Amino acid sequence: MIYIVTALPCESSPFVEKYHLKRDGCRYFPLYRGDGMSLIVSGVGKMASAIATTYLLAQNLKPGQAEEEEGLAIINIGVCGAFHQRHPIGTPVLIHKVMDHETGKQYFPDILIEHPFKEGSVETHNNVVRREDVLSGRVELQADLVDMEASGFFQAASRFLAPHQIYVIKVVGDYLDVVDFDRQRVAQCISDTLDAVEGFIKQVEGLCRAEGDVLTQDERRQLEAAKESLRLTVTQGHQLMDMARRYKLRTGRPLPDLSEFIQTDVKVKAEGKKVLERIRRLLLYE
Amino acid sequence: MSKFSHIYIEERAAIYPVAQQVLSRFPGSTRVMIRHYKDVFNRPRQDFRRQKASTKLILAVKPEPFLYPGPEVCEDFGSQNFYYTSPVLNCIYDCDYCYLQGLYTSANIVIFVNIEEFFKAVDRQLESGPLYLCPSYDTDLLALEGIVPYASRWIEFAGTRQGLRIELRSKSANYGAIAHLKPVEQVILAWSLSPSEVARRCERLAPPLKARLKAIMSALQDGWQVRLCFEPLLKVYNWEQVYREFLDEVFSVIPAGRVLDANIGVFRMSKEQFKRISKLRSDTDVFAFPMVCHEGGVVTYEDEKELRDFFYRQLNKYLPKEKIYG
Repeated sequence: MIYIVTALPCESSPFVEKYHLKRDGCRYFPLYRGDGMSLIVSGVGKMASAIATTYLLAQNLKPGQAEEEEGLAIINIGVCGAFHQRHPIGTPVLIHKVMDHETGKQYFPDILIEHPFKEGSVETHNNVVRREDVLSGRVELQADLVDMEASGFFQAASRFLAPHQIYVIKVVGDYLDVVDFDRQRVAQCISDTLDAVEGFIKQVEGLCRAEGDVLTQDERRQLEAAKESLRLTVTQGHQLMDMARRYKLRTGRPLPDLSEFIQTDVKVKAEGKKVLERIRRLLLYE
Repeated sequence: MSKFSHIYIEERAAIYPVAQQVLSRFPGSTRVMIRHYKDVFNRPRQDFRRQKASTKLILAVKPEPFLYPGPEVCEDFGSQNFYYTSPVLNCIYDCDYCYLQGLYTSANIVIFVNIEEFFKAVDRQLESGPLYLCPSYDTDLLALEGIVPYASRWIEFAGTRQGLRIELRSKSANYGAIAHLKPVEQVILAWSLSPSEVARRCERLAPPLKARLKAIMSALQDGWQVRLCFEPLLKVYNWEQVYREFLDEVFSVIPAGRVLDANIGVFRMSKEQFKRISKLRSDTDVFAFPMVCHEGGVVTYEDEKELRDFFYRQLNKYLPKEKIYG
């Protein structure tokens, strides 16, 4: 599942069209869903981005799911400004360092895959930064690019996901010289990057694909049934799963049939503990 | 993505000659300036396994302390004042059983560029007596010699200090990188050896046994003191035969009489590290055997003694007991 966070509707519309995303009935944000993708429009600013990112992940991730769900990652995509004209307008840049101008904090995504983008750093500001602010020395820039969301997005996403699951792609939209904000131009900038972003998303999904559990679905079902019928505590349940995995890794064989244990009629937890000990002997010493 | 595609550089580390030297070896890498290495190295929820496939370099300045007392689980070879130091964190190899997976939250390699300060700390320690120091515990300095020449720097340094004895432990076959140096009395070159099958299955990216034995032979011929480290001994199918044949192979190449000493260590690690790593590693049977946690929080095989005693008896056929530690 890929989650996308954009600040503006004009940044989201190219994705909504390309991936045939449908508007969700969410009361709080424009939220779109499609096959393997959810997109939220946060509004402008790092606080707004953090809130929307948190909402999106907290609503959709169940505990433990971040590690287990296939190809799970989140991407903040949007236009940004650049002081230096190193990159032409419309250039997508994959961010390797996010700096928060106000707090001074820095965040680092893990870039573990080949990608087609230029790389750079982005500095997130609370307010719009104009070229004259930099030229006059009122604002001192430390990063290649300037935006208003990335640090809030990253900080929020980091509460849920690993750094290789969080990406920021900024498309150079101006050189801090915008007079009239042109939504169509922004949408075009994003549209022009879609092919590259699509390839990138596939790479990210591949990287983030969960490693297969050594236990099969049937075996997990059998163990869950054992946990329940033996009235195991949460800790004992973890121990049972751990023993089962170790058995399979050590012997290379499927789990032995545990049905005789599952059918045991346990009335008090102490009985369950005794049966668990018998299972332990079977799984660790066979 | 290739190894070292990105190099993270602490702002204060950039001016050090070692940093410049490392950077010059990777002209195509993306350079990212950082304030403190922990901002990258200690990020929450990093994925050690995935990072291992695309390791990054971090260049940093180590603050004090530089020397740490040798851990209980490590053999001191009868030396007083046993210390270790970590001029580099993490290793280029990818061994299934490696404790570094549980020690650090990141697989990225940190190179501390202020090596001179490590040397000064050693000098201060030497003022209070002889020192036995291991600078290649949390890494493999010889394997990294092509990236940062710290094995040779430590050898050259040790050669100029009385009372200092250092052990450089490695799995590398990269002896050629230090072959130009004159053997130094204060330095022990130590090689960790495992049976070919274990090396192939559990020591990804590390050289095969034959290559390590060849490197050891070259070092012995050049007059270096060589230590053989038989650790970790792992439970493998038919382990008695595997380890017997392994020792036969080792000593068919290495003249036992020329070896300084050897140590034996059955697979073991702290309880916390074991717990952390066994969760990460569902791709190996290393952590799947019945284990026991001894007093002091060290986890090892339930039948660790059987494995150790068997190996000791076999090794004792080649080396006298005075030369066997552990």
